[in-house]
Amino acid sequence: MAFFLLVPIVVMTLIYYALLEDEKAKLGVVTRGVARFYEYPLVSVIEEDEDIEIVSLDIPDKETDPAELDRLIMEEMKKGKAHGILYMDQQLLSERFAGERGAIHIYLEGSRPTSTAAIFSSIAEAMDDLTETMPVVIDAECSAKCANSVNIKAIEIKKHYLYGSEDYRLIDYFLPVFPTFFVFFFTFIISTITFQRERVRGTLERLLIAPVSFSQIILGYISGFIIFSSVQALIIIGYILALIQISFTPHQLFALGVTLFLIMIVALTMGLLASFMAMNEFQAIQFIPLVILPQIFLSDMIWRIESFPLVFQWISYGLPLTHANIISRKVMLQNQSLWENWPQLLSLGGFFLFFMLVMSLVALKRNKNN
Amino acid sequence: MMLKIEGLTKRFGKLTAIDNLNLNIPEGLKFGLLGPNGSGKTTLLRMITGLIEPTHGKITLFGKWTPTSRMIRRRVGYMPQQTAVYPGLTVSENIRFFGRIYGLSGRPLEDRLNDILELVELGDKKKEVLSNLSGGMVRRVLLATALIHNPPLLILDEPTAGVDPVLRLKFWDWVDLLVKQGVSIIITTHHISEAERSDQVVFLREGKIIQQGKPFDIMKRFQANNLEAAFVRSTNLK
Repeated sequence: MAFFLLVPIVVMTLIYYALLEDEKAKLGVVTRGVARFYEYPLVSVIEEDEDIEIVSLDIPDKETDPAELDRLIMEEMKKGKAHGILYMDQQLLSERFAGERGAIHIYLEGSRPTSTAAIFSSIAEAMDDLTETMPVVIDAECSAKCANSVNIKAIEIKKHYLYGSEDYRLIDYFLPVFPTFFVFFFTFIISTITFQRERVRGTLERLLIAPVSFSQIILGYISGFIIFSSVQALIIIGYILALIQISFTPHQLFALGVTLFLIMIVALTMGLLASFMAMNEFQAIQFIPLVILPQIFLSDMIWRIESFPLVFQWISYGLPLTHANIISRKVMLQNQSLWENWPQLLSLGGFFLFFMLVMSLVALKRNKNN
Repeated sequence: MMLKIEGLTKRFGKLTAIDNLNLNIPEGLKFGLLGPNGSGKTTLLRMITGLIEPTHGKITLFGKWTPTSRMIRRRVGYMPQQTAVYPGLTVSENIRFFGRIYGLSGRPLEDRLNDILELVELGDKKKEVLSNLSGGMVRRVLLATALIHNPPLLILDEPTAGVDPVLRLKFWDWVDLLVKQGVSIIITTHHISEAERSDQVVFLREGKIIQQGKPFDIMKRFQANNLEAAFVRSTNLK
């Protein structure tokens, strides 16, 4: 009965904060040479955009080498300091004066489509103002006749992606978390209901009387679920590969396979624990929305976790699916290796051990009371 | 001695389900455990099978093993009161599954499977999914799964519950046959009249033994024509 009251309140609270999402895209601005004069007016226009937050960067002002600046800018984005960095170099004005379009460079982290879109939109708006402030072209050979000629060519925007590319779509951002979610979802539900049925039907007791240990029973379940989850994961990944624009290496597929295995065994132990805590199948079913729904909202699956209040962000890190999604996205979208995500791997291992321990204690207590 | 119980007590909070029970059961017998609902029959069986631990006391099986010993688990077959088989599997799949759990495989498993199916008269139903079978047939499958590993001790918890009279008689015929083959059987039942076919019976009430002995001796003691009447008279005395 408590679940009937609790679940709607939990879900409505999460929906409320999810739709309040006000996370801003972080944009850094780097200017060199004469272009520095245009930094302030440009930033003033961009700052009016509610979806953008101008951030400061750790790039030395004296650094002017284009190759080194390129490297430093990418580093800043890798560290998470900015989702995008606007770079105007000293060539811009001289190119404009020469009647060329001139170019500004937008560096994009690239794995967050909403941030990318917000940055583009804001810069495009600011570009109109910037173009108007650009100097008039003076054609030395034209003199008086050309005195009022104006370079009205649009400034070229050169895009540089840390991850992904221009073809990157919004769906590409969401696809990597589908395998982890579906494996977790189905493993949890099936293990909860199946184990509850084993207990109610009495087949679990028969197994406990037989010459097999409880850990062997659990291992048996894990083996069965590995087969089931593997087939499921193959289907999902195969389908994603057909839909997603990003190509994968065998290394990435291996990393995803390890992640799916870990989230599967975590979901299995959670499901077994839920089935032990439930007195009947009706109660067991109520665990499903209580466990699944918060993870849909708070595991960074659809809504950015940074857009939730701080307490929800802490809760997010206490959810196994959050860590699996982090690994999945970083491996598939940022081409990170599995071992670069060792904190998340460790967390998933920790969740498995934790739920196994709690389940053993609950089972032991129930055994004593029975 | 097949089963020796000394000073066995089981409490669930304030409720005493089994109260300082002492019992010896020799090998090779049909042993009836009788009593009304809540008398402690199932609790006693669950302690004998090692599913729950006693609060006090000791249970020894075959002279040397405790119920939770791995050695004893291979020697005990348990037919629970619930329909503890898999309705989505066929008859033979269910029996094979439990056979493998008990370490059987290959040819020995298949031979034993066929023998068991012949015993419980389900040879023609081996490929039927359990959910398509009647309740009586499912009880037979349950018995088969308890026998697949050829246990020297068979514990039957209300084996004839919900079963028609014809099948009830058949069950006792199978019990007789198994005892002749050397299996010791502990059987609980609500149908006290059926228990007259046991070699020895124990009457349980509120966790205590109120009568014990051969059915005929108990009937004679209470000058009753049947065991049911003897049970009623014995409970009225206490």
